[in-house]
Parts: sequence; C-alpha cells; structure tokens
Amino acid sequence: MLGQVIATEFLKLRRAKITWLTALGIAIGPLLGGLFMWILQEPGRAERLGLIGQKAQFLGQTADWPTYFALLAQMTGIVSVVLFSLVTAYVFGREYSDGTAKNMLVLPVTRAWFPVAKFLVVLVWCGLLTVVIITVGFLVGLALKLPGFSATLAAASVGEILLVAFLGYLLMPVVAWIAALGKGYLAPLGFALLTLLLGMGLGATGWGKWFPWSIVPLFAGIAGPRTETLAAGSLVVIALTCAAGVAATIWQFTYADNHQ
Amino acid sequence: MTSSDTVISTAGLTKHYGDVRAVDGLDLHVRRGEIYAFLGRNGAGKTTTIRMLLGLVRPTSGRVTVLGTDIVPGATAVFSRVGYLVEAAAAYPDLTVRENLDLQRRLMGAGREAVGEAMDLLGLSGSADRRAGQLSLGNKQRLSLARALLHRPALLLLDEPANGLDPAGIIEVRRLLRRLADESGVTVFMSSHILAEVAHLADRIGIVHEGRLLQEFDYDELRARTGAYLDIGVSEPDRAAGLLREQLGLDRIEPTPEGGLRVFVGPDRGPEIARALIGAGLDLTRLVPVQEDLESYFMRLTGGGS
Repeated sequence: MLGQVIATEFLKLRRAKITWLTALGIAIGPLLGGLFMWILQEPGRAERLGLIGQKAQFLGQTADWPTYFALLAQMTGIVSVVLFSLVTAYVFGREYSDGTAKNMLVLPVTRAWFPVAKFLVVLVWCGLLTVVIITVGFLVGLALKLPGFSATLAAASVGEILLVAFLGYLLMPVVAWIAALGKGYLAPLGFALLTLLLGMGLGATGWGKWFPWSIVPLFAGIAGPRTETLAAGSLVVIALTCAAGVAATIWQFTYADNHQ
Repeated sequence: MTSSDTVISTAGLTKHYGDVRAVDGLDLHVRRGEIYAFLGRNGAGKTTTIRMLLGLVRPTSGRVTVLGTDIVPGATAVFSRVGYLVEAAAAYPDLTVRENLDLQRRLMGAGREAVGEAMDLLGLSGSADRRAGQLSLGNKQRLSLARALLHRPALLLLDEPANGLDPAGIIEVRRLLRRLADESGVTVFMSSHILAEVAHLADRIGIVHEGRLLQEFDYDELRARTGAYLDIGVSEPDRAAGLLREQLGLDRIEPTPEGGLRVFVGPDRGPEIARALIGAGLDLTRLVPVQEDLESYFMRLTGGGS
C-alpha cells in the first residue's frame, strides 16, 4: 500500500502549479550568479549599462569557474532554506489548506505512510531543483566562457552543491511538522524565514556549528567564513534534528486530533 | 438486538475541550441497514461525534465501535468498509474529478470500474475532466458523496450531506440513500440541523443538544410527539398546572419560557380548560390553539424557542 500512497503523492505533485513555479524560481539563482560573473568579466561594461558592480567587486574575485561554483554553493544554501521549505510547507500544509487531511486520515492505510511518502516526494522534488541549479549553472558558465574549468573541480563542486542541498533537506522534517501542527502553509513559511535569519545571525558567532539552521549556511559559505569540512558534532546535530522532525510529523499524523 | 446487528456503538463517549463539553456521555446504537439521522443545532456536537466515529478525534473518555472494530489509533482496516463525508466538501483542486476519485480508489483498494460507476451515480460524468477547483459548490458536494460511495461501503457516515445541493439534488441524494439502505443493506449515519430534511428519510432520529442525546425516536413516534397543544397565559402557572392535572386529568403540561403553560390537548378542550381556570379564580390572559410542526418541536426540544 505504501507504493500506492507514493504514487498518489506524485500525482498531486505533478498537477500542482507550484511545482513548475519553483523550478522557474530556482533557475534565478545560477542566472544571478552568472550576472555577477558577467559584471566581473568587465566591470566597465556593467557601469555603462547602469548596473551597479559593487556587489561583484565586493566579492573580490575574478570571473572564473572556481568563483562561480562557490557562488552556486552559497545560493544552494539559501535556496535549501527558502525554496525547500516552500516545497515542504506546500506538500504537507496543502492537505489542511485544501481540507483534504480529514479524507486522507480515514483510509485503510497506515497513517504513517502519508508523511513517509511526502518526505520522499519532497526529497525527489528538492533533488530535481538542485539538478536545475547545477544544469543552469553549467549552461551559464559555458555561455560566459568562464576560465579555470577542470573535471576535478566540476566533480568536487557538484558534490559540494549536492551535499549542501542534502543537508538543507535534512532540516525539512521540522518544517513538515510545523505545517502539520499549524495546519497550513503560513506557520512553516514563517518558521523558515525565522530560521533563515537566525541561522545567518548565529552563523557569525561561535554557536553556529551547534545550531542546525546555521550549519548549512556555514558550510555553504554564506554566514561568515566558509567551513570546509563539517564537524562531526554538527552532523550529529543535523541528524538529530531530522530524526526529531520525522518522529514528530509521524506522531502528528497518527495521533493528533483533526478538526480541520 | 445482537452485537452483529449493531454497526455503530458508543458508550459514554465524551470529548471535552478545556471547559467546553463538545460531546458528553453519548450512548449510541445504530443498527445494520437503518438510516439514522443525528440531529442537532450548530455546535450541538454532531461533527465532533462523527470525527470520533472516524478516529479523527480521540475521545476524552468512552468507547467507539464501528463495524465491530474499536476505533483507536492504528485501527485503519475497518475504513475500507466505511464511506464518509465530514463537514465541508473537500477535494484536490488541481486534480480533475476523475483523478480525485481515482486517487481515492487506489487508496481504498477498489477496482478501476468504481470511478465511472461513482460518477454515474452522482451525475458527475459530464464533469469528469474538470478540475475540482472549478466545480460549483453543489458539484463539489456531489464529488465528495461520490468519493464516499466509490468503494461500496457497508456504512456511510455523512456530515450534513445536503450542504450546497439544490432542492432537486437534495431529493436525488435522499432517494439514493434510501435505495442503498433498502436494496444493498447499507447503514447510513447522517447528521443534519434541519429536521424536515431527515424526517421522511430516517428510520430513526436522535436529537443531540449540548453534546448529549436528548431523545431517540422513529418517524411515527415523532408524529405522535408533535401535534396540537394549547398555549395558555395564566396567573400562577404552577397552581394552574396542578389544577388541570387534578380536575381534568391532563398529564402533558409543560411550562413555557414566557411563564405560561403548554397543554397538549386538541382545541376542543379549550372551553373546558378556560372554565376550570377562571372558576378557580385565576386570571386567564391567553388561550391559543397551536398545531406544532416538526421544526417547532425540534426547536422546543433544543431550547430554541416555541
């Protein structure tokens, strides 16, 4: 029966407009990164066109593949909090906003299969969004004819982007739980924005490596100096946060009263 | 009644939200193949009761048994034999009518033909490929009813099934439910806040008010309970009631909220009652014959006025 639940979850996902909107939205990240690279390539040209080149200059980098890949990893760090949270809030919260949770929970199906199937759907969706970042990133980089490309660099950078995205995904069960608890989209989206700000803020302090929502930005190089490797303690914090989120969401689906 | 005849059974079913007693010690027994109308005003506890029957809300205390299965978290197999509609009709707005039903069919384990049959039954075939989000309120309700019937359940739990339907749709659904009960032995437990809507359909009616079951009766009993009475305005109503009981042998006398009396006798007894009251020195200010209808009976029971 889990297979049927997963199939129905994918059907709901395929038909949703938000699926395609997030795919479009996420492409903005690498395109924006490409714009920075383009400005860096010739700052005078950007000034002539009325574009302010300060941010690009601030990066203090040259327009090449290593810089662009680092930028893509940073964007993935932000996207994993914002767009992945939007995806999770939608997949879990829509059942309450559309009034369908009450139908879903009275079926001859173990209730826990629904959050399990939804986590799988979110994983696939977030994975596809990450693939969009990487693909558009490559296309933009090739179009700009950025120097400094090597297969080793590309493989390592893609691995890093995937890891940042996966770490971001591991924080989504908490967002899912907030969606089930708050019975809709708004609470999880508010929570995502709050944790994004807190994560960036605490990332600049010594507490960052212990706060789940700082660990991903730190690793992606958004909040303060980039952490090259993840501390074992940080990994444990993320794993525990994920496990707690999964358990709380399953509990919410299985035992909580539904008045919606 | 043997336990195998009982499709729904609750014992001391109670749900409290803080100090609010949404459902308070409800004992229900619904028999196989009957249409049971659960009647009450808004906030009487109907929807909470249906949610507890479906395991959507856990009781504060008491027990629920549906089709011989105790409804506790994890008891999901029984729902393959239950069709339901809880409160507002709901469907996935981005999916078509057909897709919504097919999704339900897969999760219920029903055959592929069930989708077409359910659409035909509820007159939705013409809207099969329309997105649920574009349906009218009435057609959304039809879709919810089709979803409830899709897997040919033995028990239907319907919360206000007539919501959003036009008069023709209400009659159509009423006939459908009657047919399902008569021909297929389907048990129907439906809630409503309109007595007239269920009076002719239901085999039994339970009136719930402030979370408690006030009365249970069938249609014939209901007719016997409603009927003619005299609305009397009199000084010293307690003394007047005692007098009418002693002198005239009248036993169905109720005080009214306005401080008068309601005496359940036909208008032909009016002169006799007037003579008795005036003869005893009481001031008679009003004596009005009233023919009570179903609605006023319901309102009287639930404290909604005369």
